[in-house]
Amino acid sequence: MRVVGVDIGGTFTDLMLYDTETRAVHVHKVRSTPDDPGRAMIHGLVELCGNAGITPASLDGVFHGTTVATNAVLEHRGAEAGMLTTRGFRDIVHIGRHQRPQHYSIMQDIPWQARPFVKRRNRHVVTERIAPPAGEVLEPLNADEVRAAARALKRAGVESVAVCFLFSYLNPEHERRAAEILSEEIPGAFITSSSDIFPQFREFERFTTAIMNAFVGPATGRYLDRLAGALATEGVPGKLHVMMSNGGVASSETAARKPVTLLLSGPAAGVLGGSWAGETSGRKRLITFDVGGTSADIGIVTESGIAEASARDTEVAGYPLLVPMIDIHTIGAGGGSISYVDEGGAFRVGPRSAGASPGPAAYGHGGEEPTLTDANVVLGRIDPDRFLGGEMKLDRELATAAVQRLADALGLGLLETAEGIVTIANANMSGAIRSRTVQKGHDPRDFALVAFGGAGPMQAAEVAESLGIPEVIVPPYPGITSAMGLLTSDLKYDQMRTVFMTEGAIDVERIDREIGAAVDELRARLREDGVADGEIEVAAGLDCRYAGQGYELRVPLPDERFGQDVLEGFHRLHEQEYGHAFRDPIEVVNLRVTAFGKRPRVELPASGNGGEPLLGEGQSVFRRNGSLTSHPTRFWERSLLAVGATVEGAAVVFQRDSTTIVPPGWTARADASGSLILSR
Amino acid sequence: MSAPSSTRVDPVTASVIAGALESIAIEMGHKLARMSYSSIIRESEDFGCVICDGQARQLAESSQSTPLQSGPIPGYIRGINRRFGELGEEWKPGDVVIHNHAYYGASHGPDVAFVLPVFHRGELVAFSATTAHHLDLGALTPGSCGIVDAGDAYAEGLQFNAIKIEEEGRRNEWIWRFIRDNVRASALVVGDMEAQVAACRIGAERFEELIARYGIATIQGASEDLMDYSERLLRREIERLPDGSYEAEGFIDGFQDHPNPANRDLRVRVKVTVEGSRIHVDLTGTSPQIDLPLNMPFEGTVDIAVYLTIRSILLDSDLHGDIPANSGLFRPITITAPEGCLANPRYPAPVIARFCPGNIVADTVMRALAPLVPHNVSAGVGNLKVVAYSGLGEGGQHWVYMDIQEGSYGGRYGKDGLDAVDTLYANTRNNPIEDIESHYPLRVTRYELNVDNAGAGRWRGGLGTVREIEFLAPGGMSLEGDGSVFPPPGLFGGGDGTPGRVAINHRGENHVEAPSKFPYRAAGAGDRLLLVAPSGGGYGSPAERDPAGIREDIADGVLSPERGRELYGFEE
Repeated sequence: MRVVGVDIGGTFTDLMLYDTETRAVHVHKVRSTPDDPGRAMIHGLVELCGNAGITPASLDGVFHGTTVATNAVLEHRGAEAGMLTTRGFRDIVHIGRHQRPQHYSIMQDIPWQARPFVKRRNRHVVTERIAPPAGEVLEPLNADEVRAAARALKRAGVESVAVCFLFSYLNPEHERRAAEILSEEIPGAFITSSSDIFPQFREFERFTTAIMNAFVGPATGRYLDRLAGALATEGVPGKLHVMMSNGGVASSETAARKPVTLLLSGPAAGVLGGSWAGETSGRKRLITFDVGGTSADIGIVTESGIAEASARDTEVAGYPLLVPMIDIHTIGAGGGSISYVDEGGAFRVGPRSAGASPGPAAYGHGGEEPTLTDANVVLGRIDPDRFLGGEMKLDRELATAAVQRLADALGLGLLETAEGIVTIANANMSGAIRSRTVQKGHDPRDFALVAFGGAGPMQAAEVAESLGIPEVIVPPYPGITSAMGLLTSDLKYDQMRTVFMTEGAIDVERIDREIGAAVDELRARLREDGVADGEIEVAAGLDCRYAGQGYELRVPLPDERFGQDVLEGFHRLHEQEYGHAFRDPIEVVNLRVTAFGKRPRVELPASGNGGEPLLGEGQSVFRRNGSLTSHPTRFWERSLLAVGATVEGAAVVFQRDSTTIVPPGWTARADASGSLILSR
Repeated sequence: MSAPSSTRVDPVTASVIAGALESIAIEMGHKLARMSYSSIIRESEDFGCVICDGQARQLAESSQSTPLQSGPIPGYIRGINRRFGELGEEWKPGDVVIHNHAYYGASHGPDVAFVLPVFHRGELVAFSATTAHHLDLGALTPGSCGIVDAGDAYAEGLQFNAIKIEEEGRRNEWIWRFIRDNVRASALVVGDMEAQVAACRIGAERFEELIARYGIATIQGASEDLMDYSERLLRREIERLPDGSYEAEGFIDGFQDHPNPANRDLRVRVKVTVEGSRIHVDLTGTSPQIDLPLNMPFEGTVDIAVYLTIRSILLDSDLHGDIPANSGLFRPITITAPEGCLANPRYPAPVIARFCPGNIVADTVMRALAPLVPHNVSAGVGNLKVVAYSGLGEGGQHWVYMDIQEGSYGGRYGKDGLDAVDTLYANTRNNPIEDIESHYPLRVTRYELNVDNAGAGRWRGGLGTVREIEFLAPGGMSLEGDGSVFPPPGLFGGGDGTPGRVAINHRGENHVEAPSKFPYRAAGAGDRLLLVAPSGGGYGSPAERDPAGIREDIADGVLSPERGRELYGFEE
């Protein structure tokens, strides 16, 4: 099979072609075309195939990470959308949880009030009411009111409508019927039902998810259609798959129906790529550490897979979002993070970033404030002539001048200040990793840190050191790990259902029946996507809590059936997560099933085919035993390191898409998997 | 860009320790919210988590807790120390103290603190503390809000005055049993308390790890720097204000149906004096204390209302970014209130329903500051209401549910007021309707914006809500709220907002109007309680409102064309 991964970023579109039989890899990079991201993709794809000496028509699949839906939310550019909801509850999505996003601010805006996905004039109420616990119909749906509302929405020029009724997760009938009527009255409109997107309780969050889907739906659908059409023109029909926030890929048709599941498409691909690099190096417990110019994305992988976010904690651009997502923690710390003295006199680094333009002072594009990259240059840890394979020359004098200005303001020396910038940035990153590990009951010392992105491998060893993490893994192509991740992801679909059953009154038969039905449905969907039965894997679980609590923990059901060990498993999980178990009655809240269509593994050939890897020597500065000291430092070319070759720190390993810093006391080894493994 | 004159710890280490302290408090809050049982903590987030130094000065708070819970924690610890002093008692390693005495620093009885001391080589170096609002503390009627007929502090429920619930590592089961025997819905209440203790332990452990890593001297130096830093930021902003005294007045409904007029139409008077980098707030002229629980603990409610309002205006996080929330922010501010007034009552005057009056203190402080910082304040804010719904379930176990109805903000410079939010010194969350109806014999029959009555102005006031809840089984309810009499005032020529309303419907009869607070009353299946929140005041003259804004409001149905004509002279 020949497959291509395409990751579209703000500046570059990265492409990677992999042949599962020959294990040949080709990578390519083209400038992104933000006005129509698909143009760069098709153009890059044709060039990539040309480089590889194949025709696009011989491709078996194209896997794509997209930011189209994400940007529509971030920039608030979406459809003129409408909403139907239960009479008496027109403003649930405006009132929210009545909490202000900031505690200490009079002048703040509330995202869903200042920038609503559906204007109040387009939110219509209809008579209907479903009630708990079993979804009983208290008031039947008034179909005439639905029809009248649909006509009003049509007159208002609405092209996308979300149907959001209370308790629809218990009984979706009213939402389904209303959706049918809407489709009849507004032909061609994009219709979303809240229970179809995610049948889980908490109306503000579920409704917001549904109207967000309505808001981004039409544009995302058009984009994916255009892309699929262009691929068909190149002879690659029906092969487009899109990365979802849950870390799986979906067919472009499925993705187009639920674009709200694509909002973390890009960062999820990164976590997948990091996870792949860790696994091929034989490591099971990983912290993925994807650091670019502006932000650092952190993900966690354990024996049970990539960590998913709790539905209570997921949000995008300040809006809550109830869809399965990889637990990706993003902080504003990257190579372009600006360091400064704030008005109270504190030394800060980030979250403000010099971004790609003007970029760090050393880029010479007019940046005057010192960034993390500038600090690394001043400390001699980046050779200005070899940054990004020498494609971009850095200006050491400009970097020094920028750091010196900050040093003067702080009353510190130049090197002290540069090292301080690195230390504070690393502390911010370590703090973010702690929040995903220590705070969740994981000991970081049992993990390896997988570092990628342009800046990840520069900071990784020191960040690892501060957390007691013994090992750092730098994947073969750190700068395009997301494109790699796209090639390694499985097809993945989720199903869930809220049930509310308390220990002592757990309807085991119903749980088993509903899970069985969900498994069957998901298997059928994967078969539609052409996945053979032998390649399908299923994982079932129950979201449980102590009766009365408000947050659930997920207990796996290894054989897709309820057993008494589930309850014991919950006590253990609670103890592990919070350091305390209550031994009170347990409530089952949600049933969950995930089905995977397994894809062939990607294995890269090892590199290091001759040539002298040592590029030269210099001096770099590190803090050791509390004091700043200068160390002789060797510079190496990564592509020329043979498998098994080791590099002693202090050293810097250069490659075209990233730079790896090996501090004194650390050793880097070229692993047979193609990754570079740093250890102390 | 200028560096501080002197710091104790190098700026790099200070920055690293500041981040570590905050992440400890956040972890405590995260775990408390997830482990706790009652919706008032887990959904409404009415809790606080703080790390203090050995002198009871706050170093960091959890970002997800509500300000009115975190802010008072140093006062709780000072109160415990005062009580220990009276008893000749002291902190010992392994102690866990429960405390809620409103005349010893607590915010009010339902907000119960658990405090763990952290010792290092025999020296008391820190406190790990949490507070949380508990559903029931054994007051005269079910629930811990709406106890508006409490005649004194004893009627408000159990009072814990620096009680060691664990002593040197030994758990005192007798106290736990005593609590269990004296509160309603005891499984939830005790479960929440255990969650608080577990969260405190996490905070203490993490602080000990921090000591092991950096050494106590470095942490203490960094802590002093951190407090100085926050103080310096606030003083810089105060220095920009012109010196002088500025006054304002606000009004509390009180008990409109009470025969004694002294219990109605209560006054809050505020005089803010700016002098250099200091602010003094004097509440002289505020109504005398009353024999019903609208009195406000001076320490724990009044001080927090003043501190948090001033910092939210002068160091608004939307404009200044996040500022470390520590005791340094309180240093530039002093407060006085004559003993015996609502804002500084004498024991044992009842205080349990002090929330709404405290919000008026906050709103009045903002109004006094308005002429100095017209671009950073809002016009009058609509106050809140809190209801305790309760009943007896099968087996004689009580269920208690606390429902918080939000208020609204007044118009602001350049922006309309925020609609339907918790206000000023509190920031809780509502409970999902789908959660309420799944767990209590209640049905929410209406919850939406209350339209067409926002205070008119160049920037109009925010909208309140209408919320109606029906009993599906016999039970009872009690209400504490305010804002049904005095409209949120307009500012700089803006129109006043609209007062709220309360009405009760007995099984399909017509709604009967009720005051903004009433003590426990029985309710039958089919009875409904209707609450209407006040809408905020307008900012600036309505004549200056951008017609596009009026047009949008009419299109969105929040302003009728008739009112548009009447208030703004708007004709399409």
